[in-house]
Amino acid sequence: MNAVTPRPAIHAASRTMAAERLSGRLLIGITYTSVGFLVIGVVLMVVDGISPLSGGPSLDLTTLDTQIAAREPAAFLWLGLLTVIAAPIGRVIVAGVAYARDADWLMVVISVSILLIIAIGVGSALAVRA
Amino acid sequence: MLCGGAAAGAFGSLLGLGGGILIVPLLTLGFGLPLREAVGVSLICVIMTSSAAAGVYLERHVANLRLGMTLELFTAIGALVGGSIAFLLDERLLSLLFAALLLYVAATMARARTVQPIPETPAATELDALAGPARTPTTLDRLSGDGYRVRHLGRGVVGATGAGVASALLGIGGGIIKVPLMHLSMGVPLRVATATSNMMIGITAAASAVIYVVRGGIDPYVAGPTAIGVFLGATAGSRLAHRVDLRYLRILFIVVLVYTAIQMLLRGAR
Repeated sequence: MNAVTPRPAIHAASRTMAAERLSGRLLIGITYTSVGFLVIGVVLMVVDGISPLSGGPSLDLTTLDTQIAAREPAAFLWLGLLTVIAAPIGRVIVAGVAYARDADWLMVVISVSILLIIAIGVGSALAVRA
Repeated sequence: MLCGGAAAGAFGSLLGLGGGILIVPLLTLGFGLPLREAVGVSLICVIMTSSAAAGVYLERHVANLRLGMTLELFTAIGALVGGSIAFLLDERLLSLLFAALLLYVAATMARARTVQPIPETPAATELDALAGPARTPTTLDRLSGDGYRVRHLGRGVVGATGAGVASALLGIGGGIIKVPLMHLSMGVPLRVATATSNMMIGITAAASAVIYVVRGGIDPYVAGPTAIGVFLGATAGSRLAHRVDLRYLRILFIVVLVYTAIQMLLRGAR
């Protein structure tokens, strides 16, 4: 005799699948967006005659917007690189929200913990740099 | 740099590897970049190829999101540790570690035909039927997927942490550790293990890439063209995969890996 799956479980499973689909689309979308920024940066590098081995500037978030307005290649490259890094982090956030809606608290804790570890990495690196 | 990245991306995609194993030698031996800087750039390329592929796997529901995120927690911890100690280690030691990794991958590829798949553990539903009355699902039940049951989570946790450290130190995705771990040790089918590992690579590399960015370990002028090249190469590689005779490509790749390992050993011994 086949066991009948309870209705809430079916809803939870379909929500999880929807979250997976959304996460997948998010990853693909962000990846293509980052490629777009990187292509703009590389084209500007070529136009400005910058060699890849000439040594690029470090990231400075406080001036990124003005550098973009000035069409500086490094600014678009940094925007692309940050978007690349943001893609998997965005996927964890989307999954975490989906698990919270399903009241799957263990997975919510795991999602938050992953984000926390990344935040600790940034914090410790900033502390060392300072 | 763009062409080199494209070649690394295509080669990696055709042989089921991330580009990291090729990008670091390309940038250090080919363009004379410091190894740590090459590792930072490689991490960016690894995230990019992983995100594009993982997106497709997630849309098609091949990857096990729940298992992947559980193990990701530990790869992220490993990556945090690895990313922090990477700036303390001598570059010569990193070169030697990378040479050891290349030789390990070459040996694994050479032995690939002799490896026998192990039988998968019966699915949770089959075990439930044998067990009789309904029982509260365990953590392993919740991590299992359709048609298989996850086992040995402890080994997975230790292996995932190690993969995270290796990823952050050497700029690789760590799939070479995670796929065999999930398939051979945890009973996850190979296709699901590959897809789940691919999804995990993004977070593993992102956790250490942020440390490299903040500490000035990534040069945007190098990372931009290389990442675009890898993306284009990986896309082309995935479309060419069924038209290329992988036997000869595999032999060529093993030769390239051994040659590169020798060069890295020499670099480390200087």
